[in-house]
Amino acid sequence: MTLNAWMPVFALMTSLIAAVVIFALPEKGYRLRTTVNLGAALLKLGLVAVMVWGVFRGVDYGLSYTMLPGVTFMLKADALSMMFAGLSAVLWLLTTIYAVGYLENSPNRARFFGFFSLCVASTMGVALAGNLFTFFLFYEMLTLSTYPLVVHRGTEKALQAGRTYIIYTLTGGAVLLLGIAWLHGVVGDLPFRPGGHFGDADPDIQQSLILIFILLVAGLGVKAALFPLHGWLPQAMVAPAPVSALLHAVAVVKAGAFGIVRVVHDIYGVEASSALGLLEPLAWLAAFTILYGSVRALSQGDLKRRLAFSTISQVSYIILGISLFGPVAAAGGLVHLLHQGIMKITLFFCAGNYAETLGIHRIEELDGAGPRMPGTSVAFTIGAFGMIGVPPLAGFITKWTMGSGALAVDMGWVIAVLVASSLLNAAYFLPVVHRLWFREPADRWPRECRWGKLETSAWLFWPPLLTAVMTVMVGVLAALTFSPLFWAELIVLREYSP
Amino acid sequence: MAPQMVLVLLAVCVPLVYPAMALRPGWSRAMRYVLPVLPLPALVLALATGPGWQLELPWLLNGGLWAMDELRRLFLLLTAVLWMVAGIYAVGYLGARNLRRFCVFWGLTLAGNLGLTLAVDIGSFYSFFALMTFAAYGLVVHEGTAEATFAGRVYLVMAVLGEMAILVGLLLAAAAADSQILTDLPEAIAGSPRQDLIIALLLGGFGVKAGLPLLHFWLPLAHPVAPTPASAVLSGAMIKAGLLGWLVTLPFAEIAMPGWGTLMILAGAVGSIGAAIPGVVQQKPKAVLAYSSISQMGLMLLMVGAALADPERAPVLFSVIALYALHHGLAKGSLFLSTGLSVPAGRLRRAGIWLLIALPGFSLAGLPFTSGALAKLAMKDGLAANNLDSALAGYLAPLMTAGAVATLLLVLRYLWTLRSKVETGHNPPLLAAGWLASVGVSLVAFWWLPWQVEGLVRGPVWLPQPYQLWALVWPMLIAVALAAVTLLAKWLVKQR
Repeated sequence: MTLNAWMPVFALMTSLIAAVVIFALPEKGYRLRTTVNLGAALLKLGLVAVMVWGVFRGVDYGLSYTMLPGVTFMLKADALSMMFAGLSAVLWLLTTIYAVGYLENSPNRARFFGFFSLCVASTMGVALAGNLFTFFLFYEMLTLSTYPLVVHRGTEKALQAGRTYIIYTLTGGAVLLLGIAWLHGVVGDLPFRPGGHFGDADPDIQQSLILIFILLVAGLGVKAALFPLHGWLPQAMVAPAPVSALLHAVAVVKAGAFGIVRVVHDIYGVEASSALGLLEPLAWLAAFTILYGSVRALSQGDLKRRLAFSTISQVSYIILGISLFGPVAAAGGLVHLLHQGIMKITLFFCAGNYAETLGIHRIEELDGAGPRMPGTSVAFTIGAFGMIGVPPLAGFITKWTMGSGALAVDMGWVIAVLVASSLLNAAYFLPVVHRLWFREPADRWPRECRWGKLETSAWLFWPPLLTAVMTVMVGVLAALTFSPLFWAELIVLREYSP
Repeated sequence: MAPQMVLVLLAVCVPLVYPAMALRPGWSRAMRYVLPVLPLPALVLALATGPGWQLELPWLLNGGLWAMDELRRLFLLLTAVLWMVAGIYAVGYLGARNLRRFCVFWGLTLAGNLGLTLAVDIGSFYSFFALMTFAAYGLVVHEGTAEATFAGRVYLVMAVLGEMAILVGLLLAAAAADSQILTDLPEAIAGSPRQDLIIALLLGGFGVKAGLPLLHFWLPLAHPVAPTPASAVLSGAMIKAGLLGWLVTLPFAEIAMPGWGTLMILAGAVGSIGAAIPGVVQQKPKAVLAYSSISQMGLMLLMVGAALADPERAPVLFSVIALYALHHGLAKGSLFLSTGLSVPAGRLRRAGIWLLIALPGFSLAGLPFTSGALAKLAMKDGLAANNLDSALAGYLAPLMTAGAVATLLLVLRYLWTLRSKVETGHNPPLLAAGWLASVGVSLVAFWWLPWQVEGLVRGPVWLPQPYQLWALVWPMLIAVALAAVTLLAKWLVKQR
């Protein structure tokens, strides 16, 4: 066993060990806990950066361990893993910083940060899993470790949301397990492999493969918030802002979308999925979810609820992209895995800032908040414009790439979906931006806290600004090596010409 | 990097970075005085460097390319000059209320407007276009009145729809061309099976900005409610961005498109004459000017239509369109700036000011010895029926004449409405300086600006031929007579 084989394990262990240490630390050990948290986040970021460079150069990272005959625990780093791992490593660091500020002086912080680390460890595991069995282990671990975060506040509403969340996700998990077991029964243990395994599938098992595919996507679709399995997501927004950020941008919904990408690309393979007639219905479902989420978002008066419906819509871009059966469109979908994460985390950070600093939860309370909190509001504005797809921001790169890809494979209707979604996004984000900058503020804010020199606590101030800068940079510098677009194209290149 | 390229980057980045000054509350007073300097690098770029350079920015978006040709140079010149005089004016005009916010949006809108004139790759062109569109919203709604908010909402809805049409048009064109460079698009559109769809989307999308009839209705709402210097740049420079969008994307010199040509000529006729009807009944000077802008864009549409119909003629018409755009932008900017003036008490000085206010207006109508006469004559030659291959060629001359009548009527109406609004008193020095500069650029400096129209106008032509003089003057006489009849009728009604 070489060092390279152990790299994924190290990346996984940093968060896992951090979680154990934090659980062991006393509640009062604020400083030590923060140090452990940030240290682990930085260390993990470093490890992921090394692996990104390695994967780019073609180094193999990974190990496998046969637990029972036919059941293998397998960790592996390929280009797609690194995209998800990179996203979670970068955003975990920022969310940790944010959470430290957000939860200042609130009870049960040790519990919170312990599960927080556990959640990120599971995300890492999901990213680095080398086969469906390993993927499933971490996928379920993610469910269990996020539940305490969702109900963290312990209010009736939070407990209710947590119940809904756990019912949805555990049911989804069961369906997923059923699909995995069935697949295992039909063809045995399959590692993820670019190009998939069913390029020349036996005609006898085609019927089973189609049904298994439906089970897998239905199971994964719960977390990916595909219509009609999205019901838990808007409720879960009662969680604290850093948790919402994590749920919506990094961990949960992304794990679902990532799983669907894995199934389509690395288990079935795009060609086989297409030949089995599975991609087109998936594309339509994703397109419908995109529009459905946006339409529902229009009528939400609560800022976080509006953002939640926006997530339902935006995550389906990823699924739409990969189900179009063309390399450019797939790159457009995959790049949104990162782009949506960066933009949505910005928006949730900002929503948290308004809530913590001015006590604002509803959209109509935002009037005139721009001049009071310029940094947060600039970040929010950039995030919102990014979501609409205004160039040169992240969302535009997604839409342009996916649109070009759809045209390349003669799927003109996708353009109509993209345009309708952009219009709807404009319709629910621009009024918010208008309120921020061009309305006169009310006499007093609902519940204002002063934090000293900056508009809010420094822990809360910098993370959204950083992610807003990233939203601009991943768009403006899309042509650079190691930009998200570049990486997405690399994944697709390896998928379409394995 | 060559000094020229540094200048290019400065031209775009100075106004783009300028809003960062707002981060320090202590600098907001200084921000006001920086306004006139923002377009300076762009102005130097337009005046000092010839066309032909290009700057590759491979790291930008899908690969950036900025360059300058004759057409872009004239549009850059117009943009830089107009924003500069409006910037000088703004220093004297602006109140302290929300000053920082205004300056931020001013800088961003300017950066977009300058950037889109230089951008040759689709990504940065569309980015700058969108930046200009969305940042200008901040200028439109700045005053915060109910009227401004309503105008802003209409503007924004139209702008978003326009942006979407442009996005889809560019996507389809880029897919057809398999290229991310604007200059590859016309040929690809000409050969694409989706030709008509692409042309319709681009005409409509850019048409929102350019005040294409039926897509124009945001314009008389939004241009008047903005603060005066912003109105000037909206109506003088930004409206031309839509025009430039057409010129750089549509397949003019590739194939004859008689259908689209006819449609645009019809739209131009409707715009140039039709806009005068609601225009002359407006009560507010700026609203009259907004309709005048639609009317003037209608005249330019005639040329766009002719160029679409006749690919051979397109290159010449391009130069005329650019010349006309330059002339109109400067004159209209000056007219808008004069709406914020106060006139002095002395009789002689009063008369002098009114003359200076009126002259750019008469220039629009084609007064001999002005830029307008030059532009109108070039246009007349460019659209001469015997040179042109279009079903409507024979109607163009009467249309131009009718357009000239409409132009002068609107200018007279403008002066009439302004007369009752204008106050007696002193102007802030920089406000007066900005306005005077705009008049000077429109009437005098214009002749030394580096424009040229191949085949039609070689260098400044001060003195038109006698027959040309008559051609210019008689539509003006009709307009004056119409105005006189109206006044007479009004007087008669009052007598009863």
